[in-house]
Amino acid sequence: MNPSKLLVSILIILPVTFAVAQNNGDTHDHNMIIKYTGVVANENYDALPNGCEEISSERQISVYTNKRFADGVPGAIFGMNEYEWHLEPCSRVTVTLINEDTIRHQWMIHGLPKYLYPAGMFHIEAMGGQSQTGTFIAPSENQNYLVHCDMAQHMEMGMRGQIIVGKGSGDLWSVTGITNHFYRASYLPRYIIYLCLIVAVIGYLLYSKLVPINRKG
Amino acid sequence: MLSDLKKKRYAILLITVFGMVLSYPSQWYPYNFRLILTSWFGANDYSPLPESKISKEISSELSCPSDPSGWRNEQIIDGVNIEESLPCMADNPHAIAAFVLGTNNVSNETLRLSGLTADAVVKGRDLDEDGDPDEIHIKLEVAELNGSSPISERPVTTYDIAPGVQPGLWVFAPKFVGMAVENFDTQVARYSLKIPSPAIRIEQGDIVKVTLENTHYMPHTLHIHGADHEFIDSNGEGNDGVPLTSELPIMPGDSRTYNITPRKAGTMFYHCHVQPHVHVQMGLQGLFIVEENRKNNHLQTMNIGAGKVRAPSKALRESYDSEYDMHYLDLDKELSVRIQSQNDPRLITKSMHRDYDITDANVDYFTLNGRSFPYTFRESLVVAKENKKAKLRVVNGGSKGIALHTHGHKFTVLERDGVQIDESNQTPQDVLWLPTSQRYDLELSFFNDGQHAYGPGIWLFHDHQNKGVTTDGIGPGGNISAIVYEEYLDEFGWPLTRGVDYTQYFSVDYYKKQLPIWGAYAPSLFAEPGRDIILLIRVLFFALFFGVFLANCRFIFSKERDR
Repeated sequence: MNPSKLLVSILIILPVTFAVAQNNGDTHDHNMIIKYTGVVANENYDALPNGCEEISSERQISVYTNKRFADGVPGAIFGMNEYEWHLEPCSRVTVTLINEDTIRHQWMIHGLPKYLYPAGMFHIEAMGGQSQTGTFIAPSENQNYLVHCDMAQHMEMGMRGQIIVGKGSGDLWSVTGITNHFYRASYLPRYIIYLCLIVAVIGYLLYSKLVPINRKG
Repeated sequence: MLSDLKKKRYAILLITVFGMVLSYPSQWYPYNFRLILTSWFGANDYSPLPESKISKEISSELSCPSDPSGWRNEQIIDGVNIEESLPCMADNPHAIAAFVLGTNNVSNETLRLSGLTADAVVKGRDLDEDGDPDEIHIKLEVAELNGSSPISERPVTTYDIAPGVQPGLWVFAPKFVGMAVENFDTQVARYSLKIPSPAIRIEQGDIVKVTLENTHYMPHTLHIHGADHEFIDSNGEGNDGVPLTSELPIMPGDSRTYNITPRKAGTMFYHCHVQPHVHVQMGLQGLFIVEENRKNNHLQTMNIGAGKVRAPSKALRESYDSEYDMHYLDLDKELSVRIQSQNDPRLITKSMHRDYDITDANVDYFTLNGRSFPYTFRESLVVAKENKKAKLRVVNGGSKGIALHTHGHKFTVLERDGVQIDESNQTPQDVLWLPTSQRYDLELSFFNDGQHAYGPGIWLFHDHQNKGVTTDGIGPGGNISAIVYEEYLDEFGWPLTRGVDYTQYFSVDYYKKQLPIWGAYAPSLFAEPGRDIILLIRVLFFALFFGVFLANCRFIFSKERDR
């Protein structure tokens, strides 16, 4: 498809999706609609977080999930095209989750202000081969937020990212390809302890050979 | 002549030997020497045995959590009649309604309250025009419970089979929306994620598709055991789920649809067939039940974690008061810990499939419908009504046999592996040997005739092999559950037992082997004894004298000179 046509069609489709989401959303605890294509929960299109006077900017994010993205990452099974997103405080962010696997995936932010987002969560979930779009507004403070897929073991096996609002508040652990695992296996055989002992003995001998004992008197 | 120093050394030698003899506990003297001493001096004076330790406060959870949402009650949801489930913990009735009607046919509100996805169980056309749908499309995902995490030392997506007992598990799971955990403040898995994998119920002749969406990090397949299906389906795809013969495994992130139209009714089984000696044992198994064809037969397509069927089939309602799916599964902690001790899928694969040797393995945990005692008393009781009958569909999915025994009742075996047993062989019995993967349909009669039943009460049923009633060797545990007559249940569904207090069984410490076994009713008599402090002091003095003695000997035998 011609890129300009694609852009036009996206621009037409997106507002319609918002409208549907907002009409149905109010009746549910989590502001959630269950569709064949997936779920968007706790969308927020216009309620401003504390400390924001207005929407500072508009931001579009496309998140692709595909196990292919885990190919180059040792120990990962599931993956996303990106794992870190920098957001301007008070910006309105429209996220499209494009799920290229044939299983369900999620893109979920934790720790958002609870007065706007029930349980502090904004959540997009797309069924296999489907995409879902949702909108939220970034809080005003400099802060890092966890983004992950909360299906059992998907975060542990690669789908863990972070959102950095403003200057952020320090990197989270285990962001795929960006920060280290907090708990990490040694990847060494057990007999390595004997090798260490031998090297220690070599060190001892070398030192005693090279630095002779100073015998006074 | 001895030097002064040597004299000193010999004096010390004498003192240490004397000290060692005095401090050595007389209860450890050689037997014959003790007899001689007794003949000279008589018995030793009385010194009391150590006092019992004061038992620590038992911190235990509530035995019977309340049911604020009324899930236990009999109710009608979207026109679906859902029977009551009297024990403390019951399944979400909205999910049951969605399983009966299909997630494509329930109201939006019921679908939302069920938590299922819109495509979890899709029911299509009524092909034989008998009033019930015959096209059924079931989705299954694969979930890991009590697995590891690169950012946490403790297991994630936790599932306790007994208080504090969290073996690593894999399950086929119905397709639910949202998180794998109950809420943001906990790592407890939501109720839809539990062992065993859900019991699947379809009608004879239904055109059934089961799509396995492999949401797990290892390859898996679905093998349907006992229900007839084509080796290769009409699309030319392998349909038996066996990587050795019919198809490649489904890789993580991929999915495949299995097609099945069973011609015979009966209690069957399904499980993963990739490295099955490990994958089946991890929990990738469930009952696969083919019901006889009836008119207007709307079936509860899935029964999460097995247990009471709250929307049973027409055929069942014709002859029985209630129906229970009973799934026994044993677990090996040396296997299940392997997904907890590392996070890299390559290391996990090596550990499970190369380092683990099942031929040297033993089993430690024994579950019924995914729980061990005391949790079985919350959700896996068989509730009896006098002069009624219940049907039990039993499978042993474990790797060892089970000697299933009922107290107060003799049951009748109706079918074995989905095939009816000749009526002349249907004699009542109270012990039944269940080999691995075998299914039995049992009739449990509550007519008090002195043989089938002995009258109302709380009657245990359990594996009569002794280890089966323990959790890693601690009893009571394992697959103990009970047949409880209605009048013996309180309003919350807890059995009105007349024996010991259950408080300690609901504490993590009990199954960590930290509490005295009879602490509940004999706290002082069988409590943990304190230490023998006097003996300890004597032993330490002996050790001290012995050390000095050795050092002293060294000086005596060395060429020591006065300076």
